[in-house]
Amino acid sequence: MTAQEVRLCGLLLREHFGEVVEKVGTQLLRSGAQNLRTIIHETGLSVDLVKKSLMVLVQHGACLFSSGRKGPGSPTEYRSGCDRILRILRYPRYIYTAKTLYGDTGELIIEELLQRGHMTMSGTVKTVADRLTQNMEEGRSMDYSEVSSAFSKLVETHFLQRCPPLAGAGTADSTNPAPGATPATPSTPSAPPTPESFPDCYKVPHMTLVGRGKRQLTAEDGEDQRNAKRQKMDPEAHGDEGIYWQVNFERFHLHFRDQAIISAVANKLDQTSSEIVRTMLRMSEVTTSPAATCTKPLSANEIFRSLPASYNIPRPILDQYLTLLVDDPMEFVGKAGESGGGMYVVNLHRALANLARATLESVVQERFGSRSARIFRLLLRKRHLEQKQVEDFAMIPAKEAKDMLYTLLSQNLVQLQEIPKTPDYAPSRTFYLYTVNQLPTARMLLQNCYKTVANLIERRLFESKESKRLLEKSQRIEAILASLQASGAEPEQLTEVEEMITAPEKQQLDGLRLHINKLDSAENQVDETIFLLESYVNSTATSTS
Amino acid sequence: MMTTSMRSPVLRIKELCQQFPQGITDQVIQNDLPHLEPQQRAMAINKLLSLGQLDLLRNSSGLLYRLKDSQSSSKMKGSDNQEKLVYQVIEDAGNKGIWSRDIRFKSNLPLTEINKILKNLESKKLIKAVKSVAASKKKVYMLYNLQPDRSVTGGAWYSDQDFESEFVEVLNQQCFKFLQSKAEAARDSKQSPMVQRNSSFATSHEVWKYICELGISKVDLSMDDIETILNTLIYDGKVEMTVIAAKEGTVGSVDGQMKLYRGVNAVIQPTGLVKTPCGLCPVFEDCHEGGEISPSSCIYMTEWLDF
Repeated sequence: MTAQEVRLCGLLLREHFGEVVEKVGTQLLRSGAQNLRTIIHETGLSVDLVKKSLMVLVQHGACLFSSGRKGPGSPTEYRSGCDRILRILRYPRYIYTAKTLYGDTGELIIEELLQRGHMTMSGTVKTVADRLTQNMEEGRSMDYSEVSSAFSKLVETHFLQRCPPLAGAGTADSTNPAPGATPATPSTPSAPPTPESFPDCYKVPHMTLVGRGKRQLTAEDGEDQRNAKRQKMDPEAHGDEGIYWQVNFERFHLHFRDQAIISAVANKLDQTSSEIVRTMLRMSEVTTSPAATCTKPLSANEIFRSLPASYNIPRPILDQYLTLLVDDPMEFVGKAGESGGGMYVVNLHRALANLARATLESVVQERFGSRSARIFRLLLRKRHLEQKQVEDFAMIPAKEAKDMLYTLLSQNLVQLQEIPKTPDYAPSRTFYLYTVNQLPTARMLLQNCYKTVANLIERRLFESKESKRLLEKSQRIEAILASLQASGAEPEQLTEVEEMITAPEKQQLDGLRLHINKLDSAENQVDETIFLLESYVNSTATSTS
Repeated sequence: MMTTSMRSPVLRIKELCQQFPQGITDQVIQNDLPHLEPQQRAMAINKLLSLGQLDLLRNSSGLLYRLKDSQSSSKMKGSDNQEKLVYQVIEDAGNKGIWSRDIRFKSNLPLTEINKILKNLESKKLIKAVKSVAASKKKVYMLYNLQPDRSVTGGAWYSDQDFESEFVEVLNQQCFKFLQSKAEAARDSKQSPMVQRNSSFATSHEVWKYICELGISKVDLSMDDIETILNTLIYDGKVEMTVIAAKEGTVGSVDGQMKLYRGVNAVIQPTGLVKTPCGLCPVFEDCHEGGEISPSSCIYMTEWLDF
């Protein structure tokens, strides 16, 4: 919960939920677990607003509540964690992945669930079907069963999971009432149950939902609201009341991690090797636990059988590729035994460490030049070196090598280790060795990434604020145009309205749009780096504990 | 007179030395001239030493007297004892050379004397001063006709005490191009992957031969030199190395192993962080919202957005 993380979470909350929720959220992040009274007091907001903000946060899984520290009678305490809120940054990537895997239906399902936090299956299916129907041509509509089948597929591959039901929670927050068949809640209230500890986590409920998507007939806001309200008060029961679903972020992360490994293999070796690794990872998708160091061993026979038919690789060639993968210094694939034609595993943690190392090297290279990158890589390989040795190995003249080392040292990418010859640390009688520690450096870069994303968001907000007047004007004109078009006006009226925006203003608007798009895409790019570094840091945490 | 009685032992000792070119001990002289008193013997030896015809050496069993070859003795004619002493000390240092302070320690002569003698010897072209590459102000002295050792001049990478970075760069690029073209040729050959990989390897011997044939180096490079260059390519992340066991006697094998190098591609593309101005910003640490350097007013961002 560093300062940078809190700042970034605040900005994300502000963008997605508004300033009130931001205030409450940052208060929770900064000061840990608090009860309602404290939050109200600290933020200075009204009871109503604070309650609503807390509801929003709980709905999205960003805030957890538990009974107070002083015993079962004390008021409930709310606490929040940075991780969940930082996921908001990654929403576009989740939606895009769902689109590539499950098409438009999958994309919309994930988008709905991300926006609403928790939803029942029937609610999701209805909303998604309506949205899809709206975008189709006249006369066609989306059948609920298609959307349901897409939903079931997502659940089967564990991309969606049930929200953990909470028994005995306060009635004010009963968004997840417990249905009948759930095991007893754990006795210690401090550890929130993970969704996976419940056996029904991935079971699709039997739902009676028949029908097709409804098309919205008018585009006016008033009607929309009335329709929406009517849907909410719709008393139809579909047999899955109380079962709420949420997006399983961990599963998406595993998918991203697999993607990263596959593309690294494709870059380093060739396309066929990456296909083999993709097959291996696909086969171990559901059998490997998220924190595993490597996948379960797969025999070469199984791999041969599961390869996609289009590749047509004969068996001995496959064996050669597997041997090459094992021999590669990057150690993506390891050999675990000889039975079944050779048992192979994908070394997940080692692959992540290598990818993180490549990330660090690339940052040093872009920031300080290729010769500094040479020194950095040299130190990563040889661990501890004296200054003279660094100059000799890297074949860089002494003056320049000294300069580069000191720059890297001042940026804390390289550390100095003193080894004294005498008990008093006299400088003339001490060895000074340069070294690089991968894990602390990765953590430091991760914090830099958070700060960078926060900077990008702030710049984006600043740019929009600067041109606020212009944006409002263009929005009004678009609204007028739309209404004129709907009521069937003549072309001259339309052009007249369009000309209300002058040419330089249009240019400015285009420039602004370009800037905002650039900043947005930059945020996504930095998020990729964040993902790699976070996975690496988390993988080392679990392996050392 | 003294001289006649002196001469015969001197001559006798000299003959003995000529008889035993590897040197004679005091014992041998005593056996040969039993009637000679130790004092007279010492005087005779000292006379020969001062004439510069005898070398005084020490071995495990005692002192050894050896006849100096006439050539070197003629060289020293006209120089006095101190110069001879200094010359001897420098000669002993071999091709590593010796520093003036060390000469002073070994000969116990004052600094001014040493400097005068060194200047004298240099003008007579008997010794020379070589600048050491480790400390550029330090001068080591060695005999005129000796080649300075590698540790003093720095080997093939230094010419006149200057590190030749362009030379190293050129070699670096040439080696890399050679390995890269070999890897590409292997990839295009479309054979089975094992054969592809093995043919993309080049031994250090092959690279050495290629560089020698290119003829870009005016200095002779050894295989070790080429290996240091290849190591820098490994640290650049462009090349990887494996060691295989090779039969003794195959070309290029050292102690039954051979080092193989091949060009590789990068594992990842440049990471997302460096595609933003913040990733490369020199004042990243000072940037805060509301400060002088802030995201809203960042000139790097403005430039980048208008790009």
